[in-house]
Amino acid sequence: MHPSHKHVYLSLFAAFILYLLPWQGFGLMLRPDFVLLVLIYWMLRAPHLCNVGTAWTIGLLVDLASGGLFGQYALAYAISAFVALTYQRRLVLFNAWQQAAYVLALLLLTQTTILVLKLFSGGGLPGWSYFLPSVSGVLLWQLLFSRIRAANVKDSG
Amino acid sequence: MDPYQPHAFFARGPSTLVRLIFFGTLSIVLMAVDSRLHTLTEVRQGIVALLHPLEVIVHSPVAAYHQVSEYLSTQNTLTRENRHLREQALRQGAELQRFHTLLEENEHLRNLLGVVPALAQPARLAEIVHAGRDPFTHKVIVNLGSQQGISSGQAAVDEYGVIGQVTRVYPFSSEVTLVTDKDLTIPVQIERNGLRAIAFGNGRERAINLPYLPANVDVREGDTLVTSGIDGIYPSGMAVAKVTRIERAADSPFAHIVCTPTAGTETHRQILLLAVAEKPPQLPPPLEQPNPSPARHASKP
Repeated sequence: MHPSHKHVYLSLFAAFILYLLPWQGFGLMLRPDFVLLVLIYWMLRAPHLCNVGTAWTIGLLVDLASGGLFGQYALAYAISAFVALTYQRRLVLFNAWQQAAYVLALLLLTQTTILVLKLFSGGGLPGWSYFLPSVSGVLLWQLLFSRIRAANVKDSG
Repeated sequence: MDPYQPHAFFARGPSTLVRLIFFGTLSIVLMAVDSRLHTLTEVRQGIVALLHPLEVIVHSPVAAYHQVSEYLSTQNTLTRENRHLREQALRQGAELQRFHTLLEENEHLRNLLGVVPALAQPARLAEIVHAGRDPFTHKVIVNLGSQQGISSGQAAVDEYGVIGQVTRVYPFSSEVTLVTDKDLTIPVQIERNGLRAIAFGNGRERAINLPYLPANVDVREGDTLVTSGIDGIYPSGMAVAKVTRIERAADSPFAHIVCTPTAGTETHRQILLLAVAEKPPQLPPPLEQPNPSPARHASKP
């Protein structure tokens, strides 16, 4: 099955809905970045459908919903999308663990970008728990998206 | 092989790097405009209003769960709660009688002194829709917005004290920054001795700090901080926090005072939004003769 724009937008919309859910307390601390995970998935699987512009637009939506500074998620997602797309070719050669490490690096990159932007706009330094969503995100990735390699191979075969 | 490899060799729009530079610049411009010029408020309000139906749909299962659990709350719980509320009403009724007497007396004394009468504060009951989506800011979203007459700057309180302040208003919802947020400051007074100070949210944990007080300041553990009311936003005399820890380091001229908010900033679902006072208390007219002491400026809200 070849993915189309419809799949990309519907899955991004679903991830956005998950983000909108009223998370609280510990769940909020652990909440993985669903939108970014779906974005990375499409970046790696179908880069012709999903590019930096898509990442930026959905990032702007997340900015609006989070109530933070306009454009910080948009910038962070765009940078991660750029990195993901640049190394997209090599990913097919990676094994599952290398892939997970790569995704973790992308998630941490996004969070670090947002942290830097927050520090610039006068935020305080959060504790180490700030990076927990990246860890939970990569676990979710292993559960849901780790078949990307199999899917890629199947597509080409 | 990768089925999409050929695409890269043919023209398919600008390269990834060009896109990144374009969108990166765009977002930096947006951030600068948003943080410095504040011209995007209407845009944000408009789009959040468009997102509102989506949020309502997303929150409906949670709201339904709350309704069902309220409906199914047992006879036992209800009786217990009823008894508790009765007791509370009785106790508060007694206190209220005293309060009326005090109010009259206060009015009388104010008249004697010729001071501006204290402002009455009408209030609206709002329900917390969800905690803020950023776990590192202490904010909640409530279900009343500009359509219901809420405006930015209103104080949010519960039955135990001040919770925070409305900082951003959308058409159907508004954002309340809690007293524990790093960006929120409240002019307070220590109830015991009337010492004025400014309370800053801690931001990291559920705490409030009292910085810039000298090490020998007369503050004790257990002291209650109440709003001083000189900002014209919070009515005076509302409990804000209790002093829980004081550290006086020899190498610092300031005392390190940590307080815990008295209001249930993380437990309630309903909060009261007080209307902004029409005008802040007026400054006294300047004196004719030269004054040796510099004039005090009214604190900005």
